[in-house]
This record gives sequence, structure tokens and C-alpha cells, in this order.
Amino acid sequence: MLTAALCATALVAGITGTWSPCGFSMVETLGSAAQRGMRWTTRAACATFTLGALAGGALTFGTLAALGHAAKGVGGPAATGVAVAVAALAALGEARGVRIVPQIRRQVPEPWRRRLPLPFASALYGALLGLGFTTFVLTWAVWALAAVSVALGDTTAGLAIGVAFGVGRALPVVAIAPSSWRGLGARLLATMAEHPASLRLVRAADAMCLAACAVLLAAGPAYAAVVDSTGTDPSTAGADVAWERPGTGGVISSGGLETVLPGDIPAIGGAFVAWRNGSAVTVAIRATLAPVLQFDANGVDELAISQTWIALRGTDGSRDTLDARPLASPQTAHRVISVNAPDQIGRPMLDGDRLVFGLVHGKQTSIVSVDLAHGRRRTLRSGTNVQYLNPSLLSGALLYVRVSRCAQELRLARRGRDHALLRLEPVAAQDRGHDHGHTTQGSRQPCPGGPRPPGRRLLWTTALAANTAFVTILGVANNGALTPSLLAVRR
Amino acid sequence: MREGSRLSDRLVLGTSRRGFLARVGQAVLAAAGAGAVAGALETDDADAFHICGHTYTTGSCPHPTGIPRIDSRGYPLRASDGEPVDDLGRRVDGQGYPVGESGQRMLDPNGRPLPRAPRSRLCQAAGRRYGFHAESQGSWYRCCDGHVRKLWDCCAFHRTRINGDAALTGYCYGGRNVFCVQYYQTNTPC
Repeated sequence: MLTAALCATALVAGITGTWSPCGFSMVETLGSAAQRGMRWTTRAACATFTLGALAGGALTFGTLAALGHAAKGVGGPAATGVAVAVAALAALGEARGVRIVPQIRRQVPEPWRRRLPLPFASALYGALLGLGFTTFVLTWAVWALAAVSVALGDTTAGLAIGVAFGVGRALPVVAIAPSSWRGLGARLLATMAEHPASLRLVRAADAMCLAACAVLLAAGPAYAAVVDSTGTDPSTAGADVAWERPGTGGVISSGGLETVLPGDIPAIGGAFVAWRNGSAVTVAIRATLAPVLQFDANGVDELAISQTWIALRGTDGSRDTLDARPLASPQTAHRVISVNAPDQIGRPMLDGDRLVFGLVHGKQTSIVSVDLAHGRRRTLRSGTNVQYLNPSLLSGALLYVRVSRCAQELRLARRGRDHALLRLEPVAAQDRGHDHGHTTQGSRQPCPGGPRPPGRRLLWTTALAANTAFVTILGVANNGALTPSLLAVRR
Repeated sequence: MREGSRLSDRLVLGTSRRGFLARVGQAVLAAAGAGAVAGALETDDADAFHICGHTYTTGSCPHPTGIPRIDSRGYPLRASDGEPVDDLGRRVDGQGYPVGESGQRMLDPNGRPLPRAPRSRLCQAAGRRYGFHAESQGSWYRCCDGHVRKLWDCCAFHRTRINGDAALTGYCYGGRNVFCVQYYQTNTPC
């Protein structure tokens, strides 16, 4: 939705550029051949102009987004805040018709149209206009889109914005040029030239698009809040969320009211809440905390619960196990998987009959889903160069952590779409790729962005609610100690 | 690397200040009648290239932290301090678990070690990444940072080097060519 709004803004911003000296010149230049009866030359010039504009737009906004990505990644609160502010200010400026300052008082080179074949010159003209900042800028939206591209740091969105901007720059030119000396094209050109209200109209459209972008940015994915500055291992059910507060135990938040549970490693799901006290696991009604079930489960260090199942991960130091028990007959433990160290089973999560967990096996990490009702097992994600960790499920949507050499991402996969809700800096340091005092020729760095120290934050356990994704962030101290905090991120 | 005869390579070597001084030294020796000895001399350093000891334009093998430092078995080390790192670039202990800068294993809030990631031999990983088999073969030693450094060719049956230049035989054998370079810093002082 946000990308669509940004693309719409870019499209209108590109169209607005037609009112510039270069825009008018392009209509005239491309139409000149048709005026002399060389319609195919004009058509070819229109095609090459469009291609040039698309390439230019993609280059400018794609590069800006890549720079933003390299600098700070997506989803940070400051970046989103800047993007919202810039879009809102630009919308205000457009709505009031504020003059563009500073203005780029430059034009495309006129001699090209005389010295080069028209289709070739048109391609170059298109590229220059598509670049956006090489000639007159007629709307604040261009500056705003540049700032938003950098602030969001989403290369895909940047490319989409650039292509939309290129389409906007090309569309009026190729529509008007073939009939610029008579007929509809000529009338449109005259209207543009003689009625300033036409420019005010498109700038008003720019303003509306920018305002929509500001609203969507403000409502879009971003840090929503720190739920607990020391919390970890969240789970959700309806509007309730539960987590572990080290040193305190389990906490459940319902309707804004926090209650400390009589145990630790809490899990909620369906109508239930579960916690551990010593080696005893208790299942209670979530609304009242009235116990309905208790059993002994020595060695359990993670719980997950749904309306029909409870899952228990246990460890004895050399072996991880994952069991599932139906709440209807909790004495029956179904062994889902067990692995020997150094292989690891991650934290389990339940959604109805579906159990998901991360698995580290040899060189591979994977996210595994098990249908407990039918015993079917599926690997949802797996990789060796990339770690897939700490999944959670809700109604077919999968939330998980993806750790690669160059980024950590909290990702949400739903209905065939898989996108990052939050991206943090890489977990590891990077040097300059060459020895001090030596040249850069032949050097390589694993990630863009130059030398940097090791990351100070790690994405960890997740939980998924209808409108919110919860994630534990582990802060890394100098001695390697990890301190959790629990964040809520809007989906 | 040594046997490269590309004009660009020779030009780069020729533009090195130390290369120039080395040639001046050779000329002086030759004038003193030691031409045969002078002809055999070469500069021991090559600061015109991207890592100490390396000559010619071959690029680094892709390394988790950048500079292609490896241990004696070919696994990646952090260049700044020689600490082992995994394929994600994290400092790891002998069992492959991530550790902090103090060397202590990083534990999650439940006290369990963070998940391990693979730790791959640099040359083999480079080959896999580019879709062919590669292996560490011949080497040459130079003095860098006060210690003997082994400049180690990563070789493959491949016509181009990692930086796109035409392949060189370098220290490779069995028909293989240099694909990328890596080094092992010994503890031997020099």
C-alpha cells in the first residue's frame, strides 16, 4: 500500500515536470519530426525517450534507496519519522503552491537535437529528465521522494518509485508530441502553457499523494513501542501478550494491565496460559489464571500452547527434545524431534494444531512446521549461508528472523509475500578489505558500507498477533553478555 | 601470481615506489659487477597491491569480514586480530559457537548458546559461490607486519580471476589457474 502510494506520488511528480522548460522542449523536439511528416521517427523517439526516462528514474531513486539501506537499513524509528515529516512538509508546500527553492536552473543540452539522430538524442534527453535532479524541479514531491527513498532504505521500493517517476516524465511527452502542432496535443500544450491553473491542479494532486504517503508512513511498519525493556520470549493470544521478565518470571498483559504469573517461561494460546514452576508445568485459564492442568516435566525450558496442544522443549545439556501433548490427554507425550548437541532445537510456537520451531542441524538452519493432528512435517525455510530462527505463526502468516552476513531481518511471510518488517545491522564486524597503506584494487568487502564494528543488537524470539509483531532484541555488551528487551512492531 | 605477464600487472608493479627503489638498488649492484645477483633480487614488499605481500592484480577470495586471512587449514580468521570467525563473520570459539569480544560464549536469556553457523574453508567457499570446485594450492612467503606471511593461491579450472581479469597459472598446478588470493599469517618473526 505504501509503495503504491509512493509510486503514485512519483508518477504525478513526473507529470508535473512537463510544465518545465525541458518538458515543453521535449514535446516540441519529439513532435518536430511528425510535423515534417516523419511520424515513425517521432514514434521511435517517443520510445527511446521513455526508455531513457525509466532508466534515469530507476537509477536516481534506486541509488538513493541503496544508500539509505547501506547507511541505516529499514524500519528504524528515526528514519520513518524523518520520512513522515518530509512527506508532510512537502504536501503542505505543494498544497500552498510554495515556490521550489533551491531551484536547479539548468536545461538539457539543446545541440543534441540538431547533431544527433532524434531517437538517440531523445534517449539521452529521457535519461536526463528521468534522473530528476539534472534540470528544473517543478514540485516538492521530487525532493520528498528522494528523502523518503533514503530514509526507508528499501531498494525495491526505490526502484519502483524511480520507474513510476520515469513513466510520469515520459507519459505527457509521448502523448502530446505526435500531435503537438495540431489536434488534441496542440490544445493540451496550449492549455498547459496558457493556464497556470493546470499546473496548480497537478501540484494539488502532488499534495494529496504526499499526504497519503505521510499517513501511510506514520501508520506503517515501524518500532511501535518497547513493551518491556528487560522482556524476552513473547507469546500472544487475541489482544493479550505474555513474556518472560528475567529475575521476575512470567508476565501477562491483558487490556493494558500487567500480571506477574506464579512461574516462568510463560506461553499463551487459545483460552490458556502455561507456565513452569520448578519442574511442574501448569496450564490455566488465561482470563482467570485458574489452573486446569498440572504435570511434571523435568528439563523443560520453553513452552508453547494453543487451544488443543502444549509443546515442551527440553534440554539436558547434550540433547534437545521437543514434545507435544494434547490438552485433552496430557499424559500422552508425542516426541516431535530430538537432536544431539551441537545441533539445537529452537523455541517452539503453536497455532492450533500447527507447531513451528527453528532447527540447527549440522551446517543448516531451518524452520520446520509440524501438523500435530496429522503428523505431517514441512520445512518452511532452510539455508546454510543464512540462518532462519525463532518462527511464530498466526492464521497462515509466518513471522521469523533471518540472519545473513549483511543484515538481520524480522520477516513476515503471508499469502505468497515475504517482506522485512524490521532490519538491523549485521551481527559481525567488517574490515576495509585491504591492508592499511595498500591500494583498494583487488580488495573485497562482504557488505557495502565500509568498515564497521560488530553489531550491538541481535534479533531473537518472535510472536505474532493480528496487528502487531513482537520481537526480542538482545543487546550485546562488551563482554558478550546479552540483555533482552521486548519490542512491538506494527505489521 | 608471480608468473603473470600482463602488461597492466607490470605497469602496476612499475608504478610502485618501492618497486622503483628496488630497481635502482638492482642497478647499483649491477654496476658493481654483481649483475647476476641483482637480476635475481625482487622487492620483498608490494604496497601497490591490496594486501601486504601480494603482487599482481588478483582479487581477494570472499571473506566473512573482508581481508582474506585464513588459518593453516584454510578457515577464515579476522584479519585485525587473527580470531576465528564463522561464515556470518561472527567471532567463534573452538566449537563454532559465537563469542563476545572477551571470548566468552554468547548465551541467550535461557542460558543456551546462540545457534552456530557454518565455518567454511575460504577457497572452497569461493568456488561454491561461483559454481565450480576450487582448492588452495601453491604459495609464496613474504615478510609482513613482522611475521612471515604465506600468500596462498586459491586455484580452479577457470579462465578468469575473481576480479574478471584473465586467469594466471601463479602457483597453481595440475592445469588449474589462480582464481583468488588468501593468506596465512605465521607466528614466525622476520
